[in-house]
Amino acid sequence: MNNNKSKHALLSVSALALMGTMLTPAASWAKDGETVIQENCLSCHTRTGNPETPFSRISEQRKTPEGWQMTLQRMQHWNGLALSPEDTQAVIKYLSDTQGLAPSETAPFRYVLEQQPNVVEDADPAYAEMCARCHSNARFGLQRRTENEWKELVNTHMAIHPTTELHALARDRRWYDIALNETAPKLATDYAFNDAAWKQWQKMAKPALEGSWSVAGFLPGKGDYSAILKAVKTSADKYSVTMSGHYSDGSELHGSGSANVFSGYEWRAGLTVDGVSMRQVLAASADGSSLTGRMYQSAHDEIGGELKAVSGNAIVGLSPAALKQGETSQVTIFGGYLKGNVNLGPGVKVVKVLSRDADRVVVEAKASAAATVGMRDVAVGATKAKAQLAVYDKVAAVQVFPPQSMARIGGNGGKIPKMQSTYRAVAFSAGADGQPGTDDDMRLGYMPASWSLKPQNEVAAEDRDVEFAGTIDSQGIFTPGDTGLNPQRKMSTNNVGMLKVVASVRDGDNTVEGESDLLVAVPSYIKRAIQ
Amino acid sequence: MKLTLKIKAAALIGAVSTVALMSGCSMNPSASLNGMKGDGHEYLLTVTRPNQLHVIDTETKQVIRSCDVPGVFGQGTVEPSPDGRIAYVGTNKWEDVAGFDITNCEMVFFAKQSDNNVTVKSFVSLAVSRDGKELYTIQNPTRKLTDRYEVMQPQLAVYDTSAGLDAKPIRTFPVDRQITKIMAMDTGEVILGGNDLQAINPQNGEIRMLSKLQHWDRPGDKWVQPDAFAMHSLGEHVDEFIMPYFTIKWNGDPGDMEKAEFWWGMSRVDLKTGEVEQTETVPFEFIVFNFITDPADSNILYGAFNTLSKHDIREQKTLAVHNMDHTYYNLNMTQDRTIYVGGTSSDISIHDPETLEKIGSIQLPGDMSTSAMRIAYLK
Repeated sequence: MNNNKSKHALLSVSALALMGTMLTPAASWAKDGETVIQENCLSCHTRTGNPETPFSRISEQRKTPEGWQMTLQRMQHWNGLALSPEDTQAVIKYLSDTQGLAPSETAPFRYVLEQQPNVVEDADPAYAEMCARCHSNARFGLQRRTENEWKELVNTHMAIHPTTELHALARDRRWYDIALNETAPKLATDYAFNDAAWKQWQKMAKPALEGSWSVAGFLPGKGDYSAILKAVKTSADKYSVTMSGHYSDGSELHGSGSANVFSGYEWRAGLTVDGVSMRQVLAASADGSSLTGRMYQSAHDEIGGELKAVSGNAIVGLSPAALKQGETSQVTIFGGYLKGNVNLGPGVKVVKVLSRDADRVVVEAKASAAATVGMRDVAVGATKAKAQLAVYDKVAAVQVFPPQSMARIGGNGGKIPKMQSTYRAVAFSAGADGQPGTDDDMRLGYMPASWSLKPQNEVAAEDRDVEFAGTIDSQGIFTPGDTGLNPQRKMSTNNVGMLKVVASVRDGDNTVEGESDLLVAVPSYIKRAIQ
Repeated sequence: MKLTLKIKAAALIGAVSTVALMSGCSMNPSASLNGMKGDGHEYLLTVTRPNQLHVIDTETKQVIRSCDVPGVFGQGTVEPSPDGRIAYVGTNKWEDVAGFDITNCEMVFFAKQSDNNVTVKSFVSLAVSRDGKELYTIQNPTRKLTDRYEVMQPQLAVYDTSAGLDAKPIRTFPVDRQITKIMAMDTGEVILGGNDLQAINPQNGEIRMLSKLQHWDRPGDKWVQPDAFAMHSLGEHVDEFIMPYFTIKWNGDPGDMEKAEFWWGMSRVDLKTGEVEQTETVPFEFIVFNFITDPADSNILYGAFNTLSKHDIREQKTLAVHNMDHTYYNLNMTQDRTIYVGGTSSDISIHDPETLEKIGSIQLPGDMSTSAMRIAYLK
């Protein structure tokens, strides 16, 4: 198959699979996954005769639902496996439940499942050049294999990507020998197939997720929001989901869809929220009291933000999360079914309650000029939350989040859309020592900012990257330039660039700036469930 | 330098007239060559996507013939036969080798290396013996079993160039992994370039070390293991094999970049004698994808990537740098010292060796991508 064709095929199939496999609302799991494996996989895989690991290769690996999804995609592309979407779902479900990862095993790498962009990893040096020069650390950190299986994975690399041993950082060493005899045994220890965490998790009662949840979250371009999420069980580990609430500007939020739960805690939901197809990747806590993770646009996974849901009645957040001494401001308390008096702590007066909804309470609050600087607990009636509201004297520093980021050129009639990047400004007060950047700084939460771009270095200035690489809007959303050669640029290069994103936060008569690095890169032609 | 050039030119003219005298009475060379010039006339060979071999007359700077290569584009590896008549092309994603008569595009050789469940990849590695009778590839085989892959021992495969369109290896010998570019020497040996530079005797498989790279003996606290970039076969214009590398010299503690020196280096082999030279050439100031040697002065190297550059390696100095219109991977040089810079896109940029100024361009119908750009001296 032609390279480009196969890339496009991979791209479209993986996108389809993401939507089709994981998100198709179905009444129940169509067929038992084990039966599907026996009927479809044993023409190549063999029965080992060992009840602990009954199927060759398959039984000596543990993966996340996305990991198993990628395995099935590879079997389809490389080995001609043909499975209906329902059977594919059944196999992913079966393998994730019986050969999945425990919550403690996925905890360090959830960002990749959540499709969170701009995470900078710190891989073990033993993996940094051998594995993480192509993959995220999360890609292999979210797999568990026996040593033999890690070795088979090395051999698969040699067969499918035979130039692996010729790349930079491979051709200067005995790559295959090192991968087989040093890296694979280390992986088998660090990411062991037989791990007590999974055995223990399998024995535990799994959290019940049906019911009402108090939700707080953030979406680029929309801002903070609150909602009530209702999950109604339709069959084992399947739920119909509705979300109803408000963005912090007061506009309403409505969404509905369905969720599947894998491995007892991996919540994967597809919803249409205000006309936009969205996806939730959340992890349920072991006690079933919370769901945390990220909600993002299905078609543009970089456009999304954190989502936290707490079971039943709870305070889950504040917007804004800080009040300046002497300031009167509207404050929204995010939380479900909050009843009773609002208490924002000492020195902060609730002037009046502006509105009450199922998902929030909006008040006008005034911090007295003499209010002590520090964090305040918040209560609405009997519902309480610790350290929610900061009272501050002045904004001493602003950090732009994420501190390092990447956007990708695209569009321009090509098949790959532009990949945007989004920013928020986090403000800090200086703390008792009066010096920003020290341990006693107080985080004031996200604040509105005006956004601008500047060149990251001399080369970027010389190449006029700011002119070509893209633009940032008032919401902190950066849109990169068109893909393709640009005859206006030196060497007709494309619209890549190295920029700094600058946030300017107003604090009374002062403006405090923060900045972060942005690399505008070329398109990524292959989209994987786990990058 | 000019004197040397004149001598070279005179020698060339002398050689040309001798050959003309000898062959003149027996046949009309231009008829047998289908209108092309013999007597060592230089033709530039390259491959473009989707998969075509192009024959370019270096005198007229025109593409005179384009041959369709079977299979999907591989890497665009090209190896001319010693008589310049046949161009061997690596095709089908590094798996097959097709040989074309460049005077008429007739395919006279084909070797399908993969078989049944064994996939064989040959990365860049394509060489022809100095007498033109044998063709060499380095085969990297993997076997697909029912539920796993077996990684097999790489080997040198020897083909008879007269084997036609279903050529099979007549001899094979085990070799190391990571071997990419190879070239035949007058010693009868084949240089294996990759992890190190070795020479293999294709008659009996005996291997000797020519120049250590991955296994070099320098102390690790003083030098970083060289990164040898071996993606394009070059050097036929001066009868040499050239393997550039990059290394770092630690003047302070290893990792102390402030005190470190960054160097280009090369392992260079004289194909006539097998003599090897390994040396740091010029300080690393910008990326160079490939270096070639000036036919008039082996101390002068030219390099190409975003720039075309000229270096004196005896003085370890960069003499001239020319900014290119776009990125190029590859370069070559005719005996009149005209520089041809190609690769990546669909044009070959022609440059003056003294000023490095652009003096011409050849437009091709498709992208060269990573393709080789070799010179056939048609006899």
